[in-house]
Amino acid sequence: MTAEASGAAPSTAALGDRIAGAVLAVLAVAAWWHAQTFVSGFRQPVGPDLFPRLVCVPLGVLALYLMCRPGLNQRWPRGVALLRQAGLLVVLGGYAGFLEPWGFLPATLVCSVLLIRLFDAAWRQALVSGLSLTVILYLLFEYALGIPLPAVPGLGV
Amino acid sequence: MDILAFLLHGFAIALEPQNLFLALIGCAVGTLIGALPGLGPVNGVALLIPLAFNFGLSPTAALILLVSVYYGTMYGGRISSIVLNIPGDEPAMMTTLDGYPMALKGRGGEALGLSAVASFVGATVATIGLTLFAPLLVGFAIRFGPAEYFALFMLAFATIGGVTSGSFTKSFIAAGLGLLLGTVGLDPATGVSRYTFGLYELYDGIDFIAALVGLFAISECLILLEDRRRETATNQELGSAIPGMKSARQCAPTIARGSLIGFVAGVLPGAGASLGSFLSYTLEKRWLGRKGDFGNGDPRGVAAPEAGNNAAAGGALIPMLSLGIPGSGTTAILLALLLSMNITPGPLLFEQQPDMVWGLVAALFIGNIMLLVLNVPLVGLFARVLRAPTWLLMPVVILVAFVGVYSLNNSAFDLYVMLAFGVLGYVLRKLDIPSVPVVLGLLLGGQMEFNLRRAMSISGGDWSILVSSGISIGIYAFAVALMAAGLLFAWWLKREEAGR
Amino acid sequence: MAISLRPLHTLAVSLLLAGGLTVSAPSQALPISDCLAPADPGGGWDFTCRSVGKLLHELGLVDSPVRVINMPGGVGAVAFSNVAGKRAGDSNLIVATSTVGVTQIAQGRYPGDVDTMRWLAMLGTDVGVILVDDDSPYQSLDELLEAMVDDPTSVVIAGSSGIGGWDHVRALMLAKAAGLSSEQSGSVRWVQFDGGGPAVTQMMGGHVDAVSTDLGEIAGFINSGDVRVLAVLADEPLAPPFDDLPTAISQGYDVTGYNWRGFYTGGEVSDADYQSMVETLKTLYDSPEWKQVAERNGLVPLWRGGDEFDAFVRDTADKVESISQEIGVIQ
Repeated sequence: MTAEASGAAPSTAALGDRIAGAVLAVLAVAAWWHAQTFVSGFRQPVGPDLFPRLVCVPLGVLALYLMCRPGLNQRWPRGVALLRQAGLLVVLGGYAGFLEPWGFLPATLVCSVLLIRLFDAAWRQALVSGLSLTVILYLLFEYALGIPLPAVPGLGV
Repeated sequence: MDILAFLLHGFAIALEPQNLFLALIGCAVGTLIGALPGLGPVNGVALLIPLAFNFGLSPTAALILLVSVYYGTMYGGRISSIVLNIPGDEPAMMTTLDGYPMALKGRGGEALGLSAVASFVGATVATIGLTLFAPLLVGFAIRFGPAEYFALFMLAFATIGGVTSGSFTKSFIAAGLGLLLGTVGLDPATGVSRYTFGLYELYDGIDFIAALVGLFAISECLILLEDRRRETATNQELGSAIPGMKSARQCAPTIARGSLIGFVAGVLPGAGASLGSFLSYTLEKRWLGRKGDFGNGDPRGVAAPEAGNNAAAGGALIPMLSLGIPGSGTTAILLALLLSMNITPGPLLFEQQPDMVWGLVAALFIGNIMLLVLNVPLVGLFARVLRAPTWLLMPVVILVAFVGVYSLNNSAFDLYVMLAFGVLGYVLRKLDIPSVPVVLGLLLGGQMEFNLRRAMSISGGDWSILVSSGISIGIYAFAVALMAAGLLFAWWLKREEAGR
Repeated sequence: MAISLRPLHTLAVSLLLAGGLTVSAPSQALPISDCLAPADPGGGWDFTCRSVGKLLHELGLVDSPVRVINMPGGVGAVAFSNVAGKRAGDSNLIVATSTVGVTQIAQGRYPGDVDTMRWLAMLGTDVGVILVDDDSPYQSLDELLEAMVDDPTSVVIAGSSGIGGWDHVRALMLAKAAGLSSEQSGSVRWVQFDGGGPAVTQMMGGHVDAVSTDLGEIAGFINSGDVRVLAVLADEPLAPPFDDLPTAISQGYDVTGYNWRGFYTGGEVSDADYQSMVETLKTLYDSPEWKQVAERNGLVPLWRGGDEFDAFVRDTADKVESISQEIGVIQ
């Protein structure tokens, strides 16, 4: 059982565990294999490759075990829910990308309005709270905490 | 008794109106910073250093301000852990395990009150320890060489199965994944780049805070989007903090054990508050065995790590002051501050700067009391703030986290790291694989590896160095015993269930 | 990246930036407004930026407080590549560096070489020391080095840098001066800790035999008498209270090992701007306030600026490169 008290009942169809086990096993093997490129010319009793390899062994073995004897999984999302989640990632990814080129204020304004919309608020609410949130965050970080934020090119704010 | 006289003198210094005021400011600001997701003690202290310079504070006053902030952030970190399931910093992570379930059951206020008391006791125990044992403990810590540290980390990971209520296999898989991710970056010993794929941004490894906030905050947000009617703790009444203070009495033995474990972990340089809260939680869980309901909102699951991390934070001041060795990121910054004020921490500090040292110790006692007093009325305040509708609260949390993580390194790359970990955290939750061991692996893996390699460099490749001292053998024996007990317990539990 | 221009002079500055610095360089350099610390808060580079930035403002050399931007990563590589790519022509930016950064460059660990940047000046330096525990069998530098030459694996040395880092290279330079062959220098046992303090504590606990690190970090242990200093790697004996520590040179080993603190700026800054930045830093260096700050932090004030500093950086890089090749850290 999970520690999350998240209403959704665990389904016993544990295909997820099998896939995860396979992915992790492949990861462990790939990481083990890639570790051979970690060479330093200096002779050392334990080089930079040993520890990653030591970790790969139990990880790979346990991943195989998980593949063969999977446990319980939560229900996976479908349809609209999946779309909304993808929307969140796109908005946040876009924010990360535009933060520096646009500057803090415009990027944060756009992102916060979209985020609030994503959580089902009306446009009016989203615009008002997005705007105030942006300003408050700006004042908090730029002035109260003294952390420089990316400026809008050509404006200096 | 000398110490008592010194301490009284210290109180006289700390109780000067200016210092008292600074301690109050420090506690309040620290709590606020600690409560913001992504901002923890390191940022809190680093941010206030310029302030201390600008006001031209004396070294003692500056130090009082900054340690108040340090303690304040440790208190604040638990607020978002309990209410939002988003730890503000690494040491607060363990508090989510039982704190959030408590909040879901409408016992959030109780959890906050309890954690305030547990923090108070933990920090006070550490401060008393600091007063009494500083010279003695230094002698003990010195006996820990690389091999002994490695044993300590082995102990930590051997008990990792006890972190969560999920399956052992999945906990260990998560820990392995964390350890592997922890090796990403330039190997500090040789400069060889590992799993960086040519990205300079990965040369210093994956940023803990970005990973932590991603695993907890972003994944929480994804879960919320999936099911609009999902119950969150913020829909619940927080309730009063007073029952927390009552249940603290029932948790007294837990708090005492957590404080001691945390304190010892804090004294060991390099172990830090994360290991303190982690060990006190897992060991407490083992200790109680079936009598506990850990992971489902057992108050003792809040009390143990909170006592542990605050005790460790206090304990970490011992190697910092008496040896000049920082036990954590925060103490490293405090150390830099001391150096820049012409105070060289070291074995002579207690003799050469008694005013500063004992004023600081007294300030710690006072700061603790202030935090406890501040925190009881604050619960009501947080209740009001967190009653905000989800459509407002979650974007606020996410944006604060984004800006906080960005400002750490001025790096947009860290934001992508955070998103990637958000997706990872979400998938792990769906698979019932706990996220906490991933962060622990990421956090502790580096030190674990380096102590192994240091030990091997010293011995010239002879593996027997790992078991060449009584301390390390003792630690391994303890680890094996704990693991055996855990496996036996799981087997017994299974048989019980099958028999029913 | 246009983080951090202060509102007061921002409009003019941004127009200049937007107009393109390549078109015409301004006759007067922009006042230094940003200091990039390629490390987390609390480290040596961060301290260099914070103390120099604060003094620049206090001495009236700049109008508004200098902003410190922390950009950790790859022992300075992230900041280096960022400056090279985004702010190569910004004459309002200085970047903190030290021997550690130049060592990284010499070993090819930055995206570029010494020509990528313009080297402004060093303002002070820390001094390397070799020390052992106070009850160590090694009474003098001669005894320690003799043991190393006889059997390179017999002595375990520790410090705060990795293999091929400055602490390690300094120790090997001494061993080579004592007659250790290049082939054998790779077998000296070297252990890296997170700083000079932890290394010394491990030595006091009997886990390692000797420590090679900077004096500033471990001065407390020298004062308390817990350690025995076998050599300081300076040209001349230090100022009190460290005046009785023997130099390596006085014991017949011609080795010095400074760890200086200084600044570089982008490689496309014009000659005129470069000169004016060097002059600003020189004025700061000449002030009594800087001497105080430096000494309080265990640094010896030491000036090298402009072309002289540039030549010095190149020379250091060459030396580090050749010793790194000998011990096999780089091919």
